[in-house]
Amino acid sequence: MASGGGGAYSYSLTVFSPSGKLVQIEHALAAVSSGTTSLGIKASNGIVIATERKSSSILIDDAVIEKVAVICPNIGIVYSGMGPDFRVLVTRARKSAQSYWKIHGEYPPTKILTQEIANIMQQATHSGGVRPYGVSLLVAGWDVNRGPMLYQVDPSGSFWAWKASAIGKNMVNAKTFLEKRYNDDISLEDAVHTALLTLKEGFEGQMTEKTIEIGVVTVPSEAELEEGKVEGTGRYKPTFRKLSEEEIRDYLAL
Amino acid sequence: MSIMQYNGGSVIAMVGKDCVAIASDLRLGVQSLSIATNFQKIFPVTDRLYLGLPGLASDVATLHERFRLLTNMYTIKEEREIEPETFAQLVSSTLYEKRFGPYFIEPVVAGMQKTPSGGYKPFIAATDLIGCLNFAKDFVVAGTASEKLFGVAEGLWEPDLEAEDLFETISQTLLNAVDRDAFSGWGAVVHVITKDKVVTRKLKGRMD
Amino acid sequence: MPDGSFAHPQERQFNPYSENGGTILAIAGADFTVVAGDTRQSEGYSIQTRYAPKVFKLTDRAVLAVNGFAADGNMFVKKVKQRLEWYRHAHAKDMPLRAIARLIQTMLYAQRFFPYYVYNILGGIEEDGSGAVYSFDPVGSYEREACRAAGAAQALVQPFLDNQIYFKNQQPPAGSSHPVHLPLPDVLSIVIDSFTGATERHIEVGDGLEIFVILAKGRSTQGFDGRSGVQELSTTPEGDRVFVIRRELKKD
Repeated sequence: MASGGGGAYSYSLTVFSPSGKLVQIEHALAAVSSGTTSLGIKASNGIVIATERKSSSILIDDAVIEKVAVICPNIGIVYSGMGPDFRVLVTRARKSAQSYWKIHGEYPPTKILTQEIANIMQQATHSGGVRPYGVSLLVAGWDVNRGPMLYQVDPSGSFWAWKASAIGKNMVNAKTFLEKRYNDDISLEDAVHTALLTLKEGFEGQMTEKTIEIGVVTVPSEAELEEGKVEGTGRYKPTFRKLSEEEIRDYLAL
Repeated sequence: MSIMQYNGGSVIAMVGKDCVAIASDLRLGVQSLSIATNFQKIFPVTDRLYLGLPGLASDVATLHERFRLLTNMYTIKEEREIEPETFAQLVSSTLYEKRFGPYFIEPVVAGMQKTPSGGYKPFIAATDLIGCLNFAKDFVVAGTASEKLFGVAEGLWEPDLEAEDLFETISQTLLNAVDRDAFSGWGAVVHVITKDKVVTRKLKGRMD
Repeated sequence: MPDGSFAHPQERQFNPYSENGGTILAIAGADFTVVAGDTRQSEGYSIQTRYAPKVFKLTDRAVLAVNGFAADGNMFVKKVKQRLEWYRHAHAKDMPLRAIARLIQTMLYAQRFFPYYVYNILGGIEEDGSGAVYSFDPVGSYEREACRAAGAAQALVQPFLDNQIYFKNQQPPAGSSHPVHLPLPDVLSIVIDSFTGATERHIEVGDGLEIFVILAKGRSTQGFDGRSGVQELSTTPEGDRVFVIRRELKKD
């Protein structure tokens, strides 16, 4: 047994418990469950992902906090759990997207990027000297073959697709709320409002443009696709973007 | 003598109306000695995408195998077949990987590209031996007869040729170009690719 | 040496040749011949001039196109013209085409060990009234042909001519055969297509195009009389006649 007083927690690599569980992963999930609530909703013409961003002190300059991150022009992610772990994953995911671009001359489909992230997270569950990532992710993206897709990735490295889901502290309530509210043909506008309403459930304090973050995937129109790449850059128009504070304020006002 | 001329051989691809064509000669030589008259330089990648590999014969084999591996991996990973434009990018990055010790091949890509609206549009491209892409709208040429191919193609090609006319144009271009090239010729093969089928024809040419 | 000493042996070289680009071509018809050349003159990647003629009228029935090292070409044409003038003084008539061809061989081979760095194509009308093209290598090997391209874009143009003039790789329709000579308008179209094609793909070809048309005695100007930029060069309308058609080519 490892000495030093950490007991069973001080193993440097994830090992199975006799009952077949990986306790480190369970701990990681616990870290996710105590993280701020994030959610994603797929609409007929896009996807919205949203999260709270509350800081523990009014003295913190929250302008630099980023919880919804752009990975590449067609994909964005949000997380619940440990902020630092998320930052590392964002960097890894961005590098992965760029190396895909370097080989194929286009950005990865959402599923491929999700797989890449999931692989990184899975490797942390059976590599020496590391612990699992303490985050769950919602990956939202658009690609020409599969259209808009919303995936969740867990610390174990498992991932699956959702029509709508929530992760973090208020996950259970939020999911119940979403199950009641969701239908297959809501518009992106409606989805944003549903997202705000869901976040409001169990939101502590005032919900303002400063205390939430929103990212949206917009499905390009047929005409935009036929038009093809943007002149000069050789790239397609971005399909994922973060909403500005003004845009969030407008949504909250309605 | 350049290593690019060691085995000889030429490839050309042309765009037509809702079709593309890619053609090559069949010679394999060692300098001025002809070894074979059935040497394949054009390979299918998918049902509607072909790859031509003129250049050093050993690298033709190596790259054919390599691109087979890469496209098979792509198909499995992405659960779909690779599109011509994406494949051209893959060719480019694969060749540039060997920037300072290149494969002696100048690949030509021809295929029908899926459009976002569900249709197909013709696509051709060629690269140099280190992967610099050339997306031409009319025709691309490569190999020992490239100069001659440029000259004849510039004279014979016109926009919006139907599949049968495109076949005639690319065949005449190739045959007459390779007849003036000592390192190419000895028969030819032509593939005409449309959205739902590929027509492959073997041509008899001068055997001298 | 920088110090002015002669301690080390030194070697200096003078290269008497250079290559000035451009392309020429000639096609023989039944009773006419067309000889054409572009007018760009370049050295390396620099254009020296956009108008330097490479095709010259020798007599009312002979036109000579010279391509390669421009200085040699100009000097060679000058010397051929001088010999033809001497011939006129001695015989009171123009030298026949086949004799000019043999003269050119003799003159080229005379320089066997310090050759004119020039490819010559001679076009004109034979004494029997037929169109003829003679092509030469720099040391005088020559041959009468129906068509020939030479110069920077020879590789681009010659296989196109094989196809369009000799009908190479083309099957004639059942029960018929390919024509031996093409009509003048067809030949002019092929010449123009050849040069626009060569201009498109070869950096040393472009700027201007001079097409010389030599008509056999009595042949009408039918085939190019509607064209713009035509100028007659022949001294008399009685015998064989020479015309030049000047056109623009792309300048980039």
